[in-house]
Amino acid sequence: MSILRRDMIGPALIVLLLLCVGGAASWLLVAPALSATAQPNYDVTRMVLYYSTLPRLATALIAGASLALSGALFQQVLRNPLADPTTLGVSAGANLALVVVSLFLPGLLGASRDLVALLGSASAAAIVISLGARRSFSPYSLVLSGLVLSLWCGGLSAILTYLNQRYLASLFIWGAGSLAQQSWIIPVSLLWKLAIVAILCTLVIRPLSLLDLGENSSTALGLRLVRLRFVVIAGAVALAAFVTSAVGVIGFIGLVAPTVARLAGARRPAQLIFWSPLIGAGLLFVADSVLQLAAGELGDFLPTGAVTAIFGSPLLLALLPRLKIRHRIQQSPVRQPSRRWTGTRPVLIAAAGVLALVSLSILLGRGIDAGWTLLSGEFSYDILAIRVPKILAALASGAMLAVAGSILQRLTGNEMASPEVLGISAGATFGVAIALFAVAPGLLGQFSFAIIGSATVLAVIFLGSWRSSFAPERILLTGISLSAMVDAVVGVLSASGDPRAALLMRWMSGSTYLVDTTTATVELGAAAVLITMAFAARRWLDILPLGPSPSASVGLPVAKSRLVLFGLAGLMTAAATLTVGPLSFVGLMGPHLAREAGMTRALPQMVGAALIGGGLMVAADFVGRTIVSPYQIPAGLVSALIGAPFLMIMMRKKA
Amino acid sequence: MAVSRRSFLQYATAAAVIPAPLFAQTAGARIVSLDYGLASTLLSLGLTPTGISDLADWDRWVVEPAMPTSVVDIGSSFEVDFEILIALKPDIILTTPYLDELLPRLQSVAKVVRLEIFTPESGPVLPAAIAATRKLAVELGCVQEAEAFLAKSDAFFETCRSRLAGRNPPPVALVNFMDARHARIYSNPGLFHNALERIGVRNAWTRGSNYWGFETIGIEDLSTITDPHARLIAFDPVPPDVFPKLAQSPLWNGLPFARPGHLSILPPALMFGMVNEAMRFAGLLTDLLERDA
Repeated sequence: MSILRRDMIGPALIVLLLLCVGGAASWLLVAPALSATAQPNYDVTRMVLYYSTLPRLATALIAGASLALSGALFQQVLRNPLADPTTLGVSAGANLALVVVSLFLPGLLGASRDLVALLGSASAAAIVISLGARRSFSPYSLVLSGLVLSLWCGGLSAILTYLNQRYLASLFIWGAGSLAQQSWIIPVSLLWKLAIVAILCTLVIRPLSLLDLGENSSTALGLRLVRLRFVVIAGAVALAAFVTSAVGVIGFIGLVAPTVARLAGARRPAQLIFWSPLIGAGLLFVADSVLQLAAGELGDFLPTGAVTAIFGSPLLLALLPRLKIRHRIQQSPVRQPSRRWTGTRPVLIAAAGVLALVSLSILLGRGIDAGWTLLSGEFSYDILAIRVPKILAALASGAMLAVAGSILQRLTGNEMASPEVLGISAGATFGVAIALFAVAPGLLGQFSFAIIGSATVLAVIFLGSWRSSFAPERILLTGISLSAMVDAVVGVLSASGDPRAALLMRWMSGSTYLVDTTTATVELGAAAVLITMAFAARRWLDILPLGPSPSASVGLPVAKSRLVLFGLAGLMTAAATLTVGPLSFVGLMGPHLAREAGMTRALPQMVGAALIGGGLMVAADFVGRTIVSPYQIPAGLVSALIGAPFLMIMMRKKA
Repeated sequence: MAVSRRSFLQYATAAAVIPAPLFAQTAGARIVSLDYGLASTLLSLGLTPTGISDLADWDRWVVEPAMPTSVVDIGSSFEVDFEILIALKPDIILTTPYLDELLPRLQSVAKVVRLEIFTPESGPVLPAAIAATRKLAVELGCVQEAEAFLAKSDAFFETCRSRLAGRNPPPVALVNFMDARHARIYSNPGLFHNALERIGVRNAWTRGSNYWGFETIGIEDLSTITDPHARLIAFDPVPPDVFPKLAQSPLWNGLPFARPGHLSILPPALMFGMVNEAMRFAGLLTDLLERDA
């Protein structure tokens, strides 16, 4: 009996507290309007109160409740405490669909906005969940692919917006989730959609509770698992899609609310599903009313959704140690490639390929009349002076990322580790953002800030994994949530309209545009020195994956060598991120392709990875430079658009 | 905003005193502009640019004056395609402080003329644009054309002013709708605000904004405009779902703008432009107010 009461009191107190704080903040918003004397005819203060301020508060409550319910349903049905519309990529999918439709088929938006959003989020959910199903819904692989999909959708939306709407940043506002209202239509329509799903929930709560018994027992009790999962996931996806379609992407509420409910003592599925929406409503209510007060003070436009994401993603980080990994991934036996390439032949072939790519990229371009032209004529020298630094910097960055990826994969024993996925690039981005906004930007300054940023992330990962003995799932999730946080910060900055945000956006999208001879020389120099150091450490890299005790017994200083190698990877990532941005995924693809080609030992793998990574980056740069000439697509984005799907296909194959 | 007699005389004397051969070399010069406003000013000075940035969107944002078909697109102004720029063999490149990070590389291609119109220090945009036009004319050696153009624009503004003077024009609020819930509103010290002042129309939105002259607001903020006669002027393109959505909003319907005749849509006009864009806006607005008043 006492347990039951504690179950109730904790969450109830939280809800009460949130409502009090939110109520106080919104009272401050509403009070001036209420105290104003009523005017007989046209009373604008009252109008704003009734049709803007109050609907906005109501929208915050309802959207918060919907997202939290969606998150709670996802978490319950997938049995994954990290699932929510943001981490599963569902919101980002809806957003991408809306962006695409508003740019190319604007007529569709009027009537069927919800339908478009639903289509987008359902496809995102289908992709992520079908990947997860292959790995029996391992919490880590689900969320990992969800966040990667999120970043991919976000990147694609950004580039589409960037190319099409130079003067109107409306889609940024949408992507960042603003709750501003002018009528009761949005809250009311959201309310009945929420009500329908809530009724559906009460019908499935009992079978849903049985899921906790495990698949076999619940099937034995007569549960139709597939149908139940489908219904619940459909409901959760629909809720997230409706909210995204109505107000934009509101980050992480669906993750935070159920977690708070659980921490407050709610344990059984029915309790979680009951309390989470209430807590979510309270959370968004507080967030939005406080934000409105703050925005009033600053006289600035702050999108609520991106702000909740900034506060939500650190919580994801804080939660990671609590994540019980129920489905440990089986270390798949190393597949012996059918053809084991030895010697220098594969390296020579790869090198020849890269050389061909580089020369093609140097020689071929688009002319004034947009036709393809070979390098020739009076401007050859000047055009070479423009192209060559970019191409070489792309080559050097790609190679460094790929070698860093090889090192990290060997150190963590995880084939999915890479600078991008580990969040080291995100750390470097964060460093540069601080450099741009707080300190005057100079190349050297940006570089040092990037190094500090990536070193900090490395230190966090290193210290964190020291205790959990390098549980790969945790490291990967840490990294990807850091990336999500950086993404949110940039979202806030770009919606605010600060011109420096455009600079940061371009930098994040990985444009080689500003690369000049100096930068290229620095990049090449860094690549030469760091990659040579990595090659020199090949013995460590061959032995360390065997485990700490075998390594120590052959006389390897385990701790020291790990530190050195991690530091090396961090330096390479920082240097490369400066030119190709944080999201290229080359550091993931390079080493993997090298291994697929049969280069399994440390040195051949690193050489192969460097060549492949460099080649990929050069190709991405070439495509971005020529495909919509004279306009350009950043190389980092081109390679991310290829890299993210690649990552997901890989996860599928490894199942 | 008017061309003061003194400044006119200053430039006229300057034009007379400075020997012509100094300028002769820039006649027929190949000029590339990285800014819409500077490009349209060039056309008004009788010079056709060799290439401009963002040409693909000219008809969407600037419309008037029409850009001759000989002009080459050199990519987005943020990421000018240097390969094409070099192939165009420009003599002069016109740029703005917005693109300062490209400056060293532009300077290696051709002589760069950097004109300040939108900076935190330059104050009201239209006077800054007029000053920039004069500076440009001195650089290009077409001071007489510039003075003629400025005199013409001044006369144009004056005509607009007198056309409206007898009609007691209502105060106007100028917006671009971004979606059904947000808008960008133009105010002091922006180009359109200055144009309003010049033709004797009050801006209904009295709060100042950033140095570009705009502010992002939720549509409910329009309720802070208290003048019951105020008119709302929205520029094309208006997203298709905006008016259907607004029609359902009691707040919107309660605003004075929702009454018939208090909301008008103007064809696109560039808010980040120079004298030509201010003239286009003034002309469009005067036609509108004259027609409806």
